[in-house]
Amino acid sequence: MSQTLEVATPQVAPPRARNRWRILSIVFAAFVALSAVRMFTGQPVLTGSGTIQATLAFAVPIGLAGLGGLWAERAGVVNIGLEGMMVFGTWFGAFAAYTTGNPWAGLVAGVLGGVFGGLIHAVATVTFGVDHIVSGVAINILAVGAMRYLSILYFQDAPGGGASQSPPLPGFPRVGLPFVDSLLGPVEERQWFLVSDLAGLVIGLTTDMSVVTLLAILLVPASYWLLWRTPFGLRLRSCGENPDAAESLGVRVNGYKYVAVLVSGGLAGLGGVFLAMVASSIYQEGQTGGRGYIGLAAMIFGNWRPGGLAMGAGLFGYTDALQVRGSGGAVHALLVLIALALVAVAVWQWLRGRRIVAGVSLGFAVVLGAWYLLTDTLPRELVTYSPHIATLLVMALATQRLRPPAAAGRPWRRGGGS
Amino acid sequence: MKRNMIARTAAAAAAGALCLAMTACDSSAGGQAEGGGEENQSGEALKVGLAYDVGGRGDKSFNDSAYRGLQQVQEELDVTEVRDLEPTEGEADTDKEERLKLMAEEGYNVVIGVGFAYAEPMKKVAPEYPDVHFAIVDSEIEGIDNITSLVFAEEEASFLAGAAAALKSEADHIGFIGGVETPLIRKFEAGFVAGAQEITPDIEIERAYLTQPPDMNGFQDPARGESTADGQYDAGADVIYHAAGASGNGVLNSAVANDKLFIGVDSDQYQNAADDQKPHVLTSALKDVDVAVFEFVKSVAEGNAQSGIQRFDLAGGGVDYSTSNEEEIADIQEQLDELKQQIIDGEIEVPTEP
Repeated sequence: MSQTLEVATPQVAPPRARNRWRILSIVFAAFVALSAVRMFTGQPVLTGSGTIQATLAFAVPIGLAGLGGLWAERAGVVNIGLEGMMVFGTWFGAFAAYTTGNPWAGLVAGVLGGVFGGLIHAVATVTFGVDHIVSGVAINILAVGAMRYLSILYFQDAPGGGASQSPPLPGFPRVGLPFVDSLLGPVEERQWFLVSDLAGLVIGLTTDMSVVTLLAILLVPASYWLLWRTPFGLRLRSCGENPDAAESLGVRVNGYKYVAVLVSGGLAGLGGVFLAMVASSIYQEGQTGGRGYIGLAAMIFGNWRPGGLAMGAGLFGYTDALQVRGSGGAVHALLVLIALALVAVAVWQWLRGRRIVAGVSLGFAVVLGAWYLLTDTLPRELVTYSPHIATLLVMALATQRLRPPAAAGRPWRRGGGS
Repeated sequence: MKRNMIARTAAAAAAGALCLAMTACDSSAGGQAEGGGEENQSGEALKVGLAYDVGGRGDKSFNDSAYRGLQQVQEELDVTEVRDLEPTEGEADTDKEERLKLMAEEGYNVVIGVGFAYAEPMKKVAPEYPDVHFAIVDSEIEGIDNITSLVFAEEEASFLAGAAAALKSEADHIGFIGGVETPLIRKFEAGFVAGAQEITPDIEIERAYLTQPPDMNGFQDPARGESTADGQYDAGADVIYHAAGASGNGVLNSAVANDKLFIGVDSDQYQNAADDQKPHVLTSALKDVDVAVFEFVKSVAEGNAQSGIQRFDLAGGGVDYSTSNEEEIADIQEQLDELKQQIIDGEIEVPTEP
């Protein structure tokens, strides 16, 4: 049964192994280039362990929202309500953690809050066939108003709380490998080419990490395994590609859609818990700040795949971490990196015979290089938006073919295919 | 079709973000502040309404200071009819107008807008209700009889904060974190930098703003405040001064985690810090919004309402630095008081632009 479905699922894609090596080599080359730029510009913040940790902190909520979007869209439901489900997650997580004093209760409640948002979306879109976008936007609006109402009921008169924020919340334990910091710390400070950068990366990824961060990172391979390596995942994805075919083979399409949207809401809720209790220690209205939408962008960037969306979230998180930690100077140094990347693009396009594209790329590279040499820092107005600009640039440069699930966003009724 | 789908999702995402911002309507926010339970003894029925700026009550800083003033009004002036309203995230000016109108319509005869964001809405609303006494904090409005402007010389308090930071910094390296880069917050930066350079002319100063206008989220994003402070401490700064409202709570968390010093703003942030945080709060640049609010309401209650522009500075009181963390501040208090006197005497001119 599953083999028949497999035919319907993938389009012509390059052999997976080759693709993987290509991505790995590009990532490695980018890292080497980053290290070189760090040496050249004298900005240790570019690859410092603190930057890596901040990158994780910024990337995790976006990645979780993206993962939520991935689950829903793979089953054929567009989930624009991720933002609202994150809001549910922040509030319910904060409420449970505040009333019980136990962060884990907050985690469970936050995830359930997100699942509740997912349930609304699932009932509307799957059972009643409401347009996915309309339902999602409605959830986003509902979430903000409803949480404000609940805040007035429960947080207004609590010490340190208010109509738009909760009292201080308990935090999660942090984990890390022992000795890594003391062993590699001195190596990082030497600022050797590549070696110190690797040390910074290792320290950033292995020390002083919140357990929720760890959980979020593990959810990426877990989602991949569940969706691409199990019969359950195959059936779920078949609902997003061709629900009529799936139904004709006995898959309970609506059941799978429900599961996918509930999981989607739960992941977004976990992202909300992270924002309220790991990234800060307080619930605050507007805390999600559009991260649900950025998560969707990361998912599109990642071509509806877990690894790709993790890279998208990481890229956004990294640029955000740079502008927050290093301010103008560090982002200024990125100009060199972008110029280098443009030169590489120019050479590649030239070899492929596309002279005009190559020329334009080279022109931009020269402009950016000159910009770097003639200035010391970037205006703050520009630096604040560097994550968005970087994402746009990479989106534009990435010459990948995007392939969304074929039936995503289409209302589907049982028996419609016969 | 594929391309179409991508475009559709992207467009919907953008539209969603927009809708969220625009329809985050005023859900008749706020509520009755806890009733004082006291009988209203004075004959005239004074009803006092307070409208907050972003961050709202609980920011332990600017808005909380205004709230303390309101509490004082309740307790000392026996006003039982008080109300405070909070804005919603990303609301438009028209929502603020509605909020002011709402209070005026409901018979509140003293309405105070906390924050410069209320300047334009108040200019529109106030002339329609000539019997209501309006006041605005942090903005100068001239030419409208029933608006009183309560403004502060933030740069003078910030100057003392900068001097304290420079005196306490062992690395001669300090940091400033502003919430949103508005002219008001630049006054804090200017004073802080000038004060630090008065003590150590070649001091190294990290400066950051969390967001740029019109994005006012920088006043209520503690996560970003914490990451920014982490970055500044990692870069070598050992004292950070913030003017970032509720985001400052994140800065304080970072100071505790990094075992460095923190300078609070607007309220005495030593008083409302947790016990394990207190040793890290060097001082706070005080801005007595509570006093200004209380004095204004009192003047109305006594029948001779303040009018025009009420300016609060070091000389007249209303801004100052706090000395509640005696352990940290004791050894530099003498120098700070000397500087304070020089500012009062006009020997030191504090700039308002960095």
